[in-house]
Amino acid sequence: MGADRDEKKLLKYIYLLCIVCFLNLTIIKQPVDSGAMVMAAVTCVMIGFSYFVIRRYFPEGDKHIFIFASVLSVIGIVMIYRLNMASSIKQIIWFAISVTGFILTVVILPDLKRFCNLRYLFLAGTVIFMGMATLIGTEINGSKNWVVIAGFSFQPSEFGKLFFVAYLASALKDYRNSFRELIEPAVVVMVCLGFMVLQKDLGSALIFFGISITMLYIATSKTKYVLTCFGLFAAGAMISYQLFDHVRLRVMIWQNPWPYANNQSYQVVQSMFSIASGGLTGTGLGLGHPEYVPINTSDFIFAAICEELGILTGFAIIIIYFLLFYRCMRAAVNAGDNFSRLLAVGFSAMVASQVIVIAGGVINMIPLTGITMPLVSYGGTSMLITFLALGVIQKISEEGR
Amino acid sequence: MNDITKNIKTVMIIFLVLFIGLISYITYFEVFVGPKIVNNASNKRLWVQRNEVLRGTVYDRDMTALTESKRIDEDTQAREYTYGSLFAHAIGYVDIKYGITGLERKYDSELIYSSIKDNIMNFIKYRGELPEKVGNSIRTTLDYDVQKKAYDLLGSNRGAVVVLNPQTGEILALVSKPSYDPNSLDEDWEDINSNADMPLINRATAGLYPPGSTFKVITAASAIENISGIMDRTFEDNGKIVFNDNESLSNYGGEVLGDISFEGAFVHSSNVVFGTLGMELGNGKLKDTAEAFNFNADTPADGVTIENSVFPSFGFFEKGNIAQSAIGQSEVLATPMEMALVASTVANGGVMMKPYIVSQVMTSSGDTVKTIEPGQIRQVISADTASIIKDFMRKVVTDGTGTNAAVSGIEVCGKTGTADHAEGSEPHSWFIGFAPYDNPQVAVAVIVEEGGTGGGLAAKIAGQVMQAALSK
Repeated sequence: MGADRDEKKLLKYIYLLCIVCFLNLTIIKQPVDSGAMVMAAVTCVMIGFSYFVIRRYFPEGDKHIFIFASVLSVIGIVMIYRLNMASSIKQIIWFAISVTGFILTVVILPDLKRFCNLRYLFLAGTVIFMGMATLIGTEINGSKNWVVIAGFSFQPSEFGKLFFVAYLASALKDYRNSFRELIEPAVVVMVCLGFMVLQKDLGSALIFFGISITMLYIATSKTKYVLTCFGLFAAGAMISYQLFDHVRLRVMIWQNPWPYANNQSYQVVQSMFSIASGGLTGTGLGLGHPEYVPINTSDFIFAAICEELGILTGFAIIIIYFLLFYRCMRAAVNAGDNFSRLLAVGFSAMVASQVIVIAGGVINMIPLTGITMPLVSYGGTSMLITFLALGVIQKISEEGR
Repeated sequence: MNDITKNIKTVMIIFLVLFIGLISYITYFEVFVGPKIVNNASNKRLWVQRNEVLRGTVYDRDMTALTESKRIDEDTQAREYTYGSLFAHAIGYVDIKYGITGLERKYDSELIYSSIKDNIMNFIKYRGELPEKVGNSIRTTLDYDVQKKAYDLLGSNRGAVVVLNPQTGEILALVSKPSYDPNSLDEDWEDINSNADMPLINRATAGLYPPGSTFKVITAASAIENISGIMDRTFEDNGKIVFNDNESLSNYGGEVLGDISFEGAFVHSSNVVFGTLGMELGNGKLKDTAEAFNFNADTPADGVTIENSVFPSFGFFEKGNIAQSAIGQSEVLATPMEMALVASTVANGGVMMKPYIVSQVMTSSGDTVKTIEPGQIRQVISADTASIIKDFMRKVVTDGTGTNAAVSGIEVCGKTGTADHAEGSEPHSWFIGFAPYDNPQVAVAVIVEEGGTGGGLAAKIAGQVMQAALSK
């Protein structure tokens, strides 16, 4: 029961974090903003209830996955509340929906092995969702990766990710040292990357690459395949650099953003100012100026957090992501069958590479590509997808026991 | 897939390395990149900070206000420059759209720092109603009358005037023409930037010109310190030195001075004698003296940034260039500030003082926060050498090329310069000098671009500017 007590302790720290942050937001406003305390209460109740459900009905599973996901969501909700109150209320609703989705995934989903032969269904799902935005997409913030259906806008590539991982897992699960088995998945991956480049969604392209290469290595244990993939990726990157203006632009900004600080590289320059002026401990919640950073609730939320809460908080977030990644990979180790393992590995790699791509992007370590920071950024689709993926991993962790 | 555990470990290690890389890069960014970029003009956070306090006032040495800041609304304040274009280059400007330059930039942190004591006193005085926080003021060493005189005398010419106190290094006037009005940057910005004369350039500290014969002060100093018996020698000036078939050096206007002493050569600005001395000294010795006068090096200064003046290196066989460099031509380039410092070094017994433009930082209620004391740069030449050159420079104004700088009742000393800079255009007109002879209180450098001979326009301006400075 020792582990149980530790989990409860962690949970208490989450409540504390949530209450302290919202209390801060309550008192810095004139007049005092009591709405923030309501937000705190709602968030805490939701986390507590979900934890209770998971522990009560599925005591065998790995509860840390949910705990780490909650910490990140709390930080996100707090920061979004400080930046844009309306978005934050939407975000908390999405948080509720996502947590429900997480629990339902665990409860309703039958044994995952049953899905392992739906390879071509997953393939169809992947291609439909990946291609959707290319055909009927709308351009938002420079990327044509949004689809608006009946006033409801979402990023199909986010859903595509789930199918993509599921497809790769079912395609690679029976790999037996034959190169031929890899041809079909390779073609699918390349088509997906091609779609992403066409939609100017280079961030997603990077993530898909990260996912595929990780799953490939786990399935085949062959370093030479991984190296071949890097070679192909480099060639593809070179070709798209030659072909597409938007790719060249990203690289140009990355190499030296300063000459275009007021136009092309405005976003990343503002983001760098934001992080630089925060320093080690930040300006304090509500006391900085992250409002100068564009898209600050979504793609650039990491910059806003670093400015107000300091890079120490930034480091903490990165470490929590790694812990989450670690717990997810652990589920893969204990999983009973290859399909589940690959699924767990794929989803873990999805979250981890997303973090590296966006955190590295906002600080101009790598070319900036607009994607969300999983769980922290504002965005319903992103949060729901991440929680669904974590739900599948939670399920796998239970099966393994 | 049997080695799954091993593979997962490998993948985990790779991701761990990537995460550590990310954290390391953020650390690197915070330590090395961050401090450099936070002060970038595009960072709006600084403007917010600047706006919290009503910017402090810049005064001249007699406490005449040169700027005035007014609160417009919570988010904006207007900075008015009382004398418009007169002090544009000396003070610079601060504007959310066009950035921050000159003294405004150098003393930005002082001007936006509001004294805590004053705030508390105000809080008590106004019974809890917190009035506007006002930043510290700075009292400059600039003299309105001298600045105005120099500005008016330059008229519509392009050029610059620098006036220093040779004993302290205080900058009394800093004029660069053409100027611009910092009050109407928004309306004039396009004109200012499309103007071929580049009004934004501060010619006084950043304009690099061939110093022409004013450089003979440095050559003379080098000759006195390096060639023994120079004072007793007689030179033969036949009007021209011929180096080879296509290179030669003549006196200005083809003048032939005949048998002449070292002093006479200086007073009448003999290119032949000084070119010969340059070859005799060689590039090395002359360069050493020039570098003692801060050529090829940063000049320490407070409140102004001075572009580095240039003295070139030549091989011993480049006779023509060596001779040309001794009369301030060839590739020699100097700022007006540098040449004013040369004059003030001679005036101050060979000691160069550090130029400074702010004497005092005060709180909004007038308490002194900081006083800037004069500082020496170094003893450039010996007091004896300085005294010899001082006599020479006095003769230039009484009997030589600089008679136009003479002012009745004041013993003015100086050296003219007529600097060729481009084939077919008028030479730049230079004058450097100081006054009075006995106890120099003011040193000056004047350049009028394409203003003809140094003995003409520049000398006249210099004389009257020094008179204005001394009449106080």
